[in-house]
Order: sequence, then C-alpha cells, then structure tokens
Amino acid sequence: MPPSPPRSTSVPSGGHETRPPSLAARARLVVGALLAGLGVGVVGVGVGTVAVGLASAADTGFLLGTLAFGFGLLGWAGSVVAGPGFEAMQSYLDGASGWTEAGSRRAMARIGGFGAGVMLAAVAVGTALGYG
Amino acid sequence: MVSKRFLVKRVLLLVPVLFGVATLVFAILQLAPGDPARVIVGQRASAEQVAQVRTELGLNDPIWIQYLRFLGDAAGFDFGQSYKISQGTPVREVLVDRLPVTLELAIFGQIAGILLGIPLGVISAVKQDSLTDHLTRVGALTGISVPIFWSGPLLILLFSTYLGILPTSGRIGSTIFLDEHWTLFGTQLPLTGMVTVDTILLGNVEAFVSAVRHLFLPIVVLGVYQMALLSRMMRSSMLEVVRQDYIRTARAKGQGAKITIMKHGFQNALIPVVTVIGIQFGTLLGGAVLTETIFGIGGIGTMLVNAIGASDYPLVQGTVLTFALLFTLVNFGVDITYSYLDPRIDQ
Repeated sequence: MPPSPPRSTSVPSGGHETRPPSLAARARLVVGALLAGLGVGVVGVGVGTVAVGLASAADTGFLLGTLAFGFGLLGWAGSVVAGPGFEAMQSYLDGASGWTEAGSRRAMARIGGFGAGVMLAAVAVGTALGYG
Repeated sequence: MVSKRFLVKRVLLLVPVLFGVATLVFAILQLAPGDPARVIVGQRASAEQVAQVRTELGLNDPIWIQYLRFLGDAAGFDFGQSYKISQGTPVREVLVDRLPVTLELAIFGQIAGILLGIPLGVISAVKQDSLTDHLTRVGALTGISVPIFWSGPLLILLFSTYLGILPTSGRIGSTIFLDEHWTLFGTQLPLTGMVTVDTILLGNVEAFVSAVRHLFLPIVVLGVYQMALLSRMMRSSMLEVVRQDYIRTARAKGQGAKITIMKHGFQNALIPVVTVIGIQFGTLLGGAVLTETIFGIGGIGTMLVNAIGASDYPLVQGTVLTFALLFTLVNFGVDITYSYLDPRIDQ
C-alpha cells in the first residue's frame, strides 16, 4: 500500500500559502512600530504642551494612541478569529479582493504597536513634566 | 474530537478581542464631545456642582489612570451606573433586563436563515441551471440587496396595515399580562426574558401565539438576509464539492446521486458556510438595532442608540462590550463546530 500524503494543516481558503514569519521577524515588526509611535508621541505631546498645556496634550495624545492601539488589537484578534471566514466568504461569493488573514494581522500589529508607542510616550512625557 | 489545545487557544483569543473593544470604546467615548459630569448634574447645575461630580468620578485624574481603572472594573463586568437612560441603575442590571429581547430576535433570525438558506442552497446546486436554481439565485440576490430600513416598513404596510393579519409593533398583545400570577414551579416570570420561551414554559398557548405573531415580521426581516447569504454560499460551496474526485469516485462505484451528495458532499460543503454563520451573528446584532427601532421592540439595540444620544457612557461601554462578548462566544462555538466538520483545523 503506498504511503498516504501528509495532511495539510492549512485551511483551504483561497489565500496564498506562505511560510509563517519567524518570531524575531514578528517582534521586529511590532517593536519597530512601537519605536515609531514613541517618537511621534514624544514630539506630538511636546508640541501640544507648548500649544494647549500639559494636561490637555498628554490626555489627548494618550487617547489618540489608545484609539490606534485598540483598533490594532481588535483588528489583529478579529483577523485571527474571523479571518478564515472572511476569506471563505469572499471566495464563495466571487468577491475576492486579495484580502488575507495573514496580511491583515501584520497590518494590525503595526497599527497596534504604533498606538502603544504613542500611549507610552504620553505617559512618559506627562509624568516627566509633572502631570498626575 | 476537539483537542484541549485547540480549545484553550480559542478561549485565549477572547481576551485580546474584548481588551481591544474595551480600549476602543473607552478612547472613542473620551474623545467624543460632552462632559459626563454635566450629563449627571444637568445643564442648570452650577460649576461647583459639576466640579464636585468630576472629583467623585475621578475625571480629574490623568487619562491613563482612568483607563486602567476602567479596564479593572470592566474585567469584573462592572460598568458602574447608568447616568441618564436608567438613572442610578447598575448597568449590569439594565443589560440583564434588555439583552434577552435582542438575543431572542438575533437567535430566531439566525435559525430562520439557517433552516431556509442551507436547504435552498443545496437544492439550487443539485438542480444547477434549472428554473428552481434561477429563482433561488434571484431570490438570494434580492434578499442580500434589500436593506432592513426598507423591507421592515414595507412588511408592516402589507401585513399589518393592508391585510391586518399581523401586529405592527411590540412583543406581545396588550390584553395579555404577564403578572405575578404567571409563575412556574414557584418562580416568577420572566424566567429567560425571551417572551416566546417564557410562554412555552408556562404552557400558555394564547400568550405564545401572540408572541409569535409579534415576532414574525421582525424575524422575517432579519432572517431573509441571512437566508439569502447562506443559500448563495451553500450553492457555491456545494458546486465546488460535487466536482471533486472523491464524489466522482463514489458515483463511479455505483452510489446514487442523492446519497453521494448528502453523505460525502454536504458535510464538506458546510465548512465555509459554518464560518460565515459566526461572522453573520455580529451583523444580526447590528441589524437587530434597526429592526427593534422599526418594530417598536424595546431591546438593547434601541437602548444603545438612546444611550449614545444621551452621552450615557457607562451604558454604552457595557452594551458594546456585551455585544463583543456575545460575538466572540458565538464564533467560539462556530470554531468548535468547524473543527468537528474538518478535524485538520485543530492540528
């Protein structure tokens, strides 16, 4: 009897089958976005402090970062939870747009990392300048 | 059998979803114009009164302190008290009171969509390019395209105003009262808050018929979209499956067409459809908001719209997080079903 072919563990969903990125590559993606968020946050809250005052600038900066972080986190988790379903729906309704779960996860990880960076920057700048 | 590792992985995924929703809702409400303290004390209150409430609520703390406090409370499912809509009532109590109404609509809408959509999709695929297939496809396309805000009033106009056979709004007839005499094994109603279920438990046929008559049109409005989408997906999926080699092999070995389709094809064709059922539950909850408004059903959707308008932040936060929790739990159930249908998923 011939040996049976190995079973694929990937879901047949119409997406491209690619090798998953390594842990280091994933960490680079998130940390890179986090550092970018930190930079933007420090500059933004700093400029905002001069323009509208420390409390207002720090609060607004933190909330904008939270918005990005929450969106990224929800998008990432949503992609994992419902991604295969979305891909299947697109495929079976003849509406394929090239959207993939993996691509969505990467994009959302970047947005979430950036948002977390802005949040940290707002807390750091606010605390350093004596707010709270 | 579903592996424990798969289950744990899926349960852990609920955490980032709920954390993300909580974070997003917090940020959006904080960035929205309006002062919660002013909402509580009213427009005519003095600046001192507003300042006092702000201090009591901790609104003068840095926003990150408020964020951590909110997350801590939300983790214990404590959203505080309603500012305006149900003034002073804990949000948890308001949700327990209103949620069954929306759930009843969404669940029955989903069941109607599944029970009609899947068989229609199978028939459409089996009788490909026949008159039945064309009619089903046109019906599905129409069902997907028609918005609730149009189909709802149209059905009211037809069945209630012109034909007069169904009620226009509400959950049960005004002459039927579920008062203190309505008890079951010593427990006072409502038991579940779902009027159809409660009336069945009571064994009161008149009340049950009245509840079904009131729910019929809202469920049709919600169910038609589900049915249309599921039948279209089921048809495409079934057509793809019946072209597979294993179906051809089964037919070549002499197995009948019907048995081949139902025994070998149906389960595999169901896989993509099941995943979409989970995603669509979110759409149903959203659709229930509009349906409740059109049919005058006082569910959580109507309350959410009012709470947003009144800047009742605790109620909005609690409701949105509850919706998110429901959505993720339904998708968790779908994942388990999915892994039963295709055991490769949890490997």
